[in-house]
Amino acid sequence: MIELLGNLSLAFSLLLAAATLAATVGGAKFESVRLLTAARVLLVMFTLLIVGASATLLAAFLNNDFNIEYVAHYSERALPFGYKLAAFWAGQEGSLLLWALVLAIMSSIAVLVRRGQTPGEDAGFIGTLTIVNGFFAALMLFAANPFKLIDEVPLDGRGLNPMLQDPNMVAHPPLLFLGYAGFTVPFAIMVGALVAGRRDNAWLGDTRRWTIVSWLFLSIGIILGAQWAYLELGWGGYWAWDPVENASLLPWLTGTALLHSIMVQQTRGMFKVWNAALFALTFILCIFGTYLTRSGIIQSVHAFGESAIGTFFLAMLIVVTLASIILIIVRRNVLQSEEKLESLAGREALFLATNVLLVLMTAITLIGTIFPVISRLIASQEVTVGPSFYNKVVAPLGMLLAAMMAMGPMLVYGADAGKKLLKSAILPVTLATVVLVVAYTRNFRDAWSLSAMAVVAVAGTAIVQELLKATLLRAKEHRENLVLAFVKLLDSSHRRYGGQIVHVGVIMMVVGIIGSSVFGAKETYTLKPGDTASIRDHTVKYIDIHEKRMANYTAVDATVEVTLPDGKVSTLHPQRRFYDKAEDANSEVAIESTLKSDVYLMLAGWENGGTVAAIQVIINPLVSWIWIGGIVLTIGALICLTPKFIPVKHAELVKKTSPKHNAASARRQVGPAM
Amino acid sequence: MTRIGIKLLVAGAILTGAVGYLGFAGAKSGWVYYLEVDKYVADASFAPQRVRLHGKVSTEQFSVNKAGLAANFDLHGHSRQVAVAYHGAIPDMFEPGRDVVVEGKMHDGVFVADVLMTKCASKYEGKPENAGVPATQPESKP
Repeated sequence: MIELLGNLSLAFSLLLAAATLAATVGGAKFESVRLLTAARVLLVMFTLLIVGASATLLAAFLNNDFNIEYVAHYSERALPFGYKLAAFWAGQEGSLLLWALVLAIMSSIAVLVRRGQTPGEDAGFIGTLTIVNGFFAALMLFAANPFKLIDEVPLDGRGLNPMLQDPNMVAHPPLLFLGYAGFTVPFAIMVGALVAGRRDNAWLGDTRRWTIVSWLFLSIGIILGAQWAYLELGWGGYWAWDPVENASLLPWLTGTALLHSIMVQQTRGMFKVWNAALFALTFILCIFGTYLTRSGIIQSVHAFGESAIGTFFLAMLIVVTLASIILIIVRRNVLQSEEKLESLAGREALFLATNVLLVLMTAITLIGTIFPVISRLIASQEVTVGPSFYNKVVAPLGMLLAAMMAMGPMLVYGADAGKKLLKSAILPVTLATVVLVVAYTRNFRDAWSLSAMAVVAVAGTAIVQELLKATLLRAKEHRENLVLAFVKLLDSSHRRYGGQIVHVGVIMMVVGIIGSSVFGAKETYTLKPGDTASIRDHTVKYIDIHEKRMANYTAVDATVEVTLPDGKVSTLHPQRRFYDKAEDANSEVAIESTLKSDVYLMLAGWENGGTVAAIQVIINPLVSWIWIGGIVLTIGALICLTPKFIPVKHAELVKKTSPKHNAASARRQVGPAM
Repeated sequence: MTRIGIKLLVAGAILTGAVGYLGFAGAKSGWVYYLEVDKYVADASFAPQRVRLHGKVSTEQFSVNKAGLAANFDLHGHSRQVAVAYHGAIPDMFEPGRDVVVEGKMHDGVFVADVLMTKCASKYEGKPENAGVPATQPESKP
């Protein structure tokens, strides 16, 4: 019964998508606002049906309806409630439905909130969203149906993969999909603006919010995925340059580039073709990542099984790419730059440079990821390039990018930017030099850690210096006391200061990444009860092993005492879990985490009931800063999205919104940071 | 061409050169052939190189010492096989008959590996042949 409800919802949603598209085309042809309103309503109805289909699948999970193959494969009666929810997106069909759901909701909000200038623009915008939404409905109906019935109904399901029974895994996929789906909206807005041939840059304002939101979701999704790998996979790392990870990184890199370069177009009317291409590329890479991991063309440690949906995604990929290229070529006349680059030390040039770096990183990551395919085609011999390829190529570019980010607050728009930069760089560069000299005398010789220290010193000084200068200036101009001036300054541009907070978060992450990859230590000890081992000023003492029975698994639980360098002793319990429904045992690591470093224990094995145990000990310095940086980044991005907290007085408002004043002040002062 | 244009061109050329060099060096250091056992055994030129091998773990020649972090086993292709000595943490899903990928180098007739990945079609997709069968537990429990 319930599968019928699900399938009917999907089938009708596809019909509605077709109707929406027809209304959109009609709206464009007859310049009819009423038809476009109808298209909006139809798209909302489409969304309701997708919500219905999702609710149906969820109900099937909660009711343990093992008639449905998907439910039988990913759930079991004993599964805790939260994980039954997560089982929804544990497999291919369900995660596509989740993507479709998120996309439909975001599309509905977008079409309800946004009105284009002309019917043509609206048609391009709504039409693009409808086609992408319809694609997902068709995909589920014809290639990856989550409501497929099972041949023989089992008494209990197979259960959820133990590796996915983790709180991070509950949140990671939906956040990634929110990001992937979200990037469809700015792409659609861009298509609308180009279809309508808009020469102004005002439409970029509409894309900004969507781009930041999608970028934020994607960022959190990637960070949670990294944390999941760290906690669950047991090898002590958080990033392995696996194709699946790379697939999520690619649109993040171009999305980051996009966030920065649309600001140059907004304030200076430059980089228009580049931006249009980035909108398209980011969206295309979201689709490409899925194609890559679902089509079976790349072998990955954790790719999904091969399936027919690869062909669907490939078709979509080709259509979107060709359509975008044609659209940009046809509209090249409206994409001409309004101004020329005046200085290589200005904000525009730095944005251009960061963009080039980000796109280069994207290209290299992409080439590395599909290297097995390229090598098969060219040399008929499969070659993979391992993590050392990425570490040698992408990492230096990343560090260069971090250095540019550190310079960010010191840069201004315009022709005399170079002189100003030299002046404001004196203090940060001096301090960085001092830090480097001190570090060198204290025997830090590694290029990565030295560069990271320099970046932190420059970035920190630059931000503080810029804040101080601007606060003093404001206090003088507005006759405010320093505290009030500081608060009002921060509130005056959420975009600028939110952006700086994001940068601080990213630099914290750089510190964590460098710290853990340069200064880490990894050792495996075979210990008898009472034996100790020392590693990097930490002492590890093996006590014993016990067996514990939990809801759907039995755990072999080791007790290990860890003494930190400061003398603090804590007891950790690395486990090996035997889930009832899984044929393989699964490691559950135990971590003692401090701001300085993580002690990461994995129970690698044991013999004779625990008279000997092999314990892998990993010391991961500074790794917490990656997660803290992620939180700071999120706060910064949220600040970018919020309006001013303190209302601006009417008089100031008039002054501010006058375009002449705006342009002048943008040039005199400094533009938005993010 | 304007001065800015020339500067941009120079900067672009330097960047392209640097990235090209990095890419070349990176690819050289990360370059690993991915081979099936049969092809590897048939072609002696692969022996001095570090490669990735894909094959099936022998059900007869198989010994694993989890506490000692070592595994010795034969890796089967379609018609040929190679002896593997692996050192490191034993993956949870490692067992006889399983498809695995090992990375390492030939040493005195034994393939010495330091990377061992169990290869199931996917961690996310269920394995149909084991549906409903209670979990087998390959390890001794205390």
